[in-house]
Amino acid sequence: MNRTRREFLGTMAAGSAALTMPAFLGACGVQRAVSVADKLPENPFMEWFGVDQATVARVMSEMTANGADAADLYFQHSRRNTLTLEDGIVSRAFSGIDQGVGLRVVIGEQTGYAFTEDLTLASMLSAARTAAAIAAGGRVAAPQAFAPRDLGGLYTVSVPWSEVGIDRKLPILKFVESKAKSFDPAVEKVSVYWTDVDERVMIATLDGSLVMDHRPMATMYTVVTARKGDEVQTGYSNIAARQEFDWYTEERLTAMAREAVDRTVVLFDAKRPPAGEMPVVLASGSSGILLHEAIGHGMEADFNRKGTSIYSDMIGKQVAEPFITIVDQATIPGERGALNYDDEGNPAGRTVLVENGILKSYLHDRISARQYGLKPTGSGRRESYKHAPMPRMSCTFMEAGPHTREEIIASVDRGILAETFTNGQVQIGAGDYTFYVKNGWMIEDGKLTAPIKDVNIIGNGPESLKRITMVANDARLDTGGWTCGKNGQGVPVSQGIPTVLVSRMTVGGENVG
Amino acid sequence: MSAELSNRAAEAVELARKAGADDVWATAVQQRSVQFEYRKGALEKVQDTTSRALAVQVYANGRYSSHQTTDLEPERMKGFLAEAVAITRALEPDPSRQITPPELFRDRPGQPLDLVDARVQQIDRDQRVAWCRAIDEVAAAHERVISATGAVEDGSSQSASASSNGFLGMQESTYCWYGASVTLKDRGDRRAEDGFYAGGTHLEALPQPGKVAQVALDRALARLDSEKGPTSRTAMVVDARAAASLVGRLLGPANAQSIQQGRSFWAGLTGQKAFSDKLTLIDDPLIPRGLGSRHYDSEGISAKVLPIIEAGVVRNLYVDTYYGRKAGLAPTTGSRSNLRVQTGRHSLEQLLAEVGNGIYVTSWLGGNTDGTTGDFSLGLRGHVIENGRIGRPVGEMNVTGNLRSLFSRLELVGNDPYPYSTTLAPSLVFSGVDFSGA
Repeated sequence: MNRTRREFLGTMAAGSAALTMPAFLGACGVQRAVSVADKLPENPFMEWFGVDQATVARVMSEMTANGADAADLYFQHSRRNTLTLEDGIVSRAFSGIDQGVGLRVVIGEQTGYAFTEDLTLASMLSAARTAAAIAAGGRVAAPQAFAPRDLGGLYTVSVPWSEVGIDRKLPILKFVESKAKSFDPAVEKVSVYWTDVDERVMIATLDGSLVMDHRPMATMYTVVTARKGDEVQTGYSNIAARQEFDWYTEERLTAMAREAVDRTVVLFDAKRPPAGEMPVVLASGSSGILLHEAIGHGMEADFNRKGTSIYSDMIGKQVAEPFITIVDQATIPGERGALNYDDEGNPAGRTVLVENGILKSYLHDRISARQYGLKPTGSGRRESYKHAPMPRMSCTFMEAGPHTREEIIASVDRGILAETFTNGQVQIGAGDYTFYVKNGWMIEDGKLTAPIKDVNIIGNGPESLKRITMVANDARLDTGGWTCGKNGQGVPVSQGIPTVLVSRMTVGGENVG
Repeated sequence: MSAELSNRAAEAVELARKAGADDVWATAVQQRSVQFEYRKGALEKVQDTTSRALAVQVYANGRYSSHQTTDLEPERMKGFLAEAVAITRALEPDPSRQITPPELFRDRPGQPLDLVDARVQQIDRDQRVAWCRAIDEVAAAHERVISATGAVEDGSSQSASASSNGFLGMQESTYCWYGASVTLKDRGDRRAEDGFYAGGTHLEALPQPGKVAQVALDRALARLDSEKGPTSRTAMVVDARAAASLVGRLLGPANAQSIQQGRSFWAGLTGQKAFSDKLTLIDDPLIPRGLGSRHYDSEGISAKVLPIIEAGVVRNLYVDTYYGRKAGLAPTTGSRSNLRVQTGRHSLEQLLAEVGNGIYVTSWLGGNTDGTTGDFSLGLRGHVIENGRIGRPVGEMNVTGNLRSLFSRLELVGNDPYPYSTTLAPSLVFSGVDFSGA
C-alpha cells in the first residue's frame, strides 16, 4: 500500500499508536554472501571512517554552540539480510545497509534534529549547525573526551549475522517448508521469510559518555495456504529474538511450522462470534498485546508531559485489582525487545507501570525525565539514525496471578477465548484501543466449544484494566516478532501475560440479532 | 543533481556487470525533508535532513536478488556490488525472474506531470514559522484545548534509474503538508482528539493554514462526549477520508502476487460482476500534480490509465512482471499510483438525508482484513445518523463483514473526493452492515 505523506502526518496527528506483525506480503527478498567482502569491524565508525574522539568532540562542540540541555550523536551501521522461500525455491534475497549519524540538540522541550549518511567532518558539522539552530542562547561547554561505558551482555554474539553465509540459512527455510507440508494434506503452499539484522550503534552524549551496543535480530515467518474443495485459508506463525544462528533448533523450527499449519486448518471450521459485549479470556503469551495497547502507550511520558494521555493524572491511583502488576523491562536476555542501552545512551532497565493495582511510573526519555525531575527510565528509543528518540516500550508483561487457566475458562458462561493476534492500535487521549483476533474459541457454559476467527476487539484502557477480574499463574512472554509503530517510527518489542479474564469487551461479529 | 543521480545509477550498473551480473537495474534516490512542530507558542521540533541511497537488482545465472545501501563511499560501493552478485549466485535459479523487457518501458508517456513546484523549493524557515503560528492561533483557540500541535513538512524527492538493457529514467517531485492535531479535555480523565492535514505537490491547491487548523479543531470538538453506540445491522456512511483507507483494504489483495500465492479473494473475478455497479475504480498515474503520479513504475513499466473496476466488473489487476509470469497474467503495473473512485451526484448532507438512520464513520481504529477470504473487522469512530442528520458521537465500536459482500452493497457514492491522498475517494454509503457496540 502506498504510504502517503498525509498518512504519515495523520499517524503523528491522531495521538494513536499501532502494533503490527511484520508485513510479509510484498516483501522483497534478502541475504548475505558466502565469503565475500570484509568482515564488519566491531566499531566501524572508528575503523572505517576515522570518526575518532576528537572528531566527535568537534561536532558536539558545534551542536552546542547556541546552548543545550542535552545533545547526542547516534552513529548506526545496520546490515539486514532477508531470504524468501516461495513455491519450493529460495530464489529471492535482499541485503540492505543503513549507515548514518543522527545529531540531536535538546533545550527544554525543544528538539533540533539532523542526520547525515556522509560521515565526513564537513557533513557532520553542517548537520550539527542545523540541529543547533533550535537553540538561541550562549555556548555550553562540550566534552573533549568521552568515557566508554561497559558493553552490555543481554545478547552477546559469537558469530555476527553478517558473517553467516546463505549456505547455512537456505537449508533452514527448506526444513520449515517440508515440516509444514508434512503436517496436513490440506496444505497447498508454504512460504518462509527469513530476516537477520546485525546492527551496531555508538552514542556519544553531552555528559561525556560513549555507549556502544551490538544488536542482533533474528526473525522468521511461515505462511501457510491450505485448500479444502473450493475453500482456501491462509494462516501464519513467526518467531523473533535477539539471538544468533544456533537459536534456530530443529525443535523451535518444527514448533513454528506446526503452529502455522494448526492456525490455518482450524480456519475451515471457524466462524465469527456473535457481535457485542461479552467476557473475553486472553490466552497467555501473545495476549500481552492488551497491555501494550490498553496501558503501555498511555504510560509513555511524552504523551503525559503534554497532558494528552488518559493516564496523565493517574499516578498513585488504584487502577486495577491488587493482584495485578505490570512491568516494562528491557533487561531480559535475548528477547526481541531487549536492550542493553536505550537510544539516548542510558542504561535500559525495569520500570514498574502498575504495582499491586497502583499506577506507579511512566516510561521516560531524557526530555520528560528532566521535566518531571526524575531519572530517565532508559526508554528513549528510535527506529534509526533518521529519527529523534522518544519514550517507547521494550518487553511489556504482567506478572503471574492467583488463578488458573482452567478456573478462568470455567467461570465464563458465554464469551470468547482469544489466542492469536495480528495487530492493535490505541488512541492515547480517549483511551480506546483495539486488537485483531485471528484465532480463538467460543466459550459456552465454561467450556471451549467452536473455533472463531477474524474479529476486532475494542475497549477502553482504564476501563479494561478495572475489568481484569482473574489472572492465572501461567505468565509467559510471546516469541512473536512484534513491531511497535509510533509517530512513523517502528521499533521491535516483546510482550507477555498470563491467562486473564476481562469481564466485558466489545467483540466484532456478524451475527447481529 | 539529476545528472549526478543518473551517473550514480549508471555506474552501479557498470560495476555490477563487471562483478559478473548478467543484468542489473539500479536506482539512485535523494530526498530532502524539513519538519517543523509547534506547540504552546514555540517551536517544539525542527528536523532538517537530506538522505540518499542506492538500490540495485541483480540477475546472474538465472538467479535474482536486490540490495540497497546508504553508504556511497566509492571503494565500499564496489565491495557492496561484488557481494550483491555473490549473494545472487548462492540462491536457487528461478526462470520466472527476468529483467523488465524493453517492450514494457519503450513507449513511455511524455506529457508533463508538473510534479515540481518552485514555490515549495523556496519555502524558508520564516515561512514555516509563520504557518505554524497561523495554525496554532486557530487550533489552540478553545477553552477545552489541553494540547495542540501544529506541523509543517515540506521537501522533495528525486530518483534516477538505469538498467543493463537500456532503461534510463528520472522522476522528481515536491511536497508540502501542514495541519494540526488537537487534544481536548473531555469527561473524567478522557481526552477528545483528532487532527487534520492538507498537502500536495504544489502550494497553490492548499487551503490557508488557519482553515486547515479549524478543521482539526472542529473534528476534535466533534469527538467530545463520545459514547459506545449500539450493536446493530444498519446503514454505514463512510466519510471521504475514511473511505480512501477502506478502498485501500479492498485493493490490498488485487494483485498477481496474492493471487499466485493463493491468498486473494480476487482470484477468478476478472471479467466478472463482483461488486456493486456503483463502484468504478481507475488507477491513473497521469493526473497532473497528483501525489501518486509517475511516468513509469518501480519496474520501469510505462505508466498508463488502468481501469480496475468498471460498474462493479473487474477489468484489471495489479500485475508485476515476476508474479505475472508465474500466474500467466500479462503485466500491467505492480503497484498503485493515483486511484480515482468515480464520484456520484450527492453531497455528504444529501447522502445522510437519503440514509435516514445508521452510522457515519469518520475514522478507523485498528482492525484487519484476511486477504484470502475478504473477511474484515475494524474499529471505528463516528456519529449516529438520526433522521438524516449527524447525531451524537460514537466510538469503541467495530464493524465486521466481508469486503466483497460489503462492496456489493455499495448503494450511493458522494461527489466529494478527498484531495489529500493518492486515493481520491468520495463519501460512500453501504447497506446492511454489522456493527458491534453496547
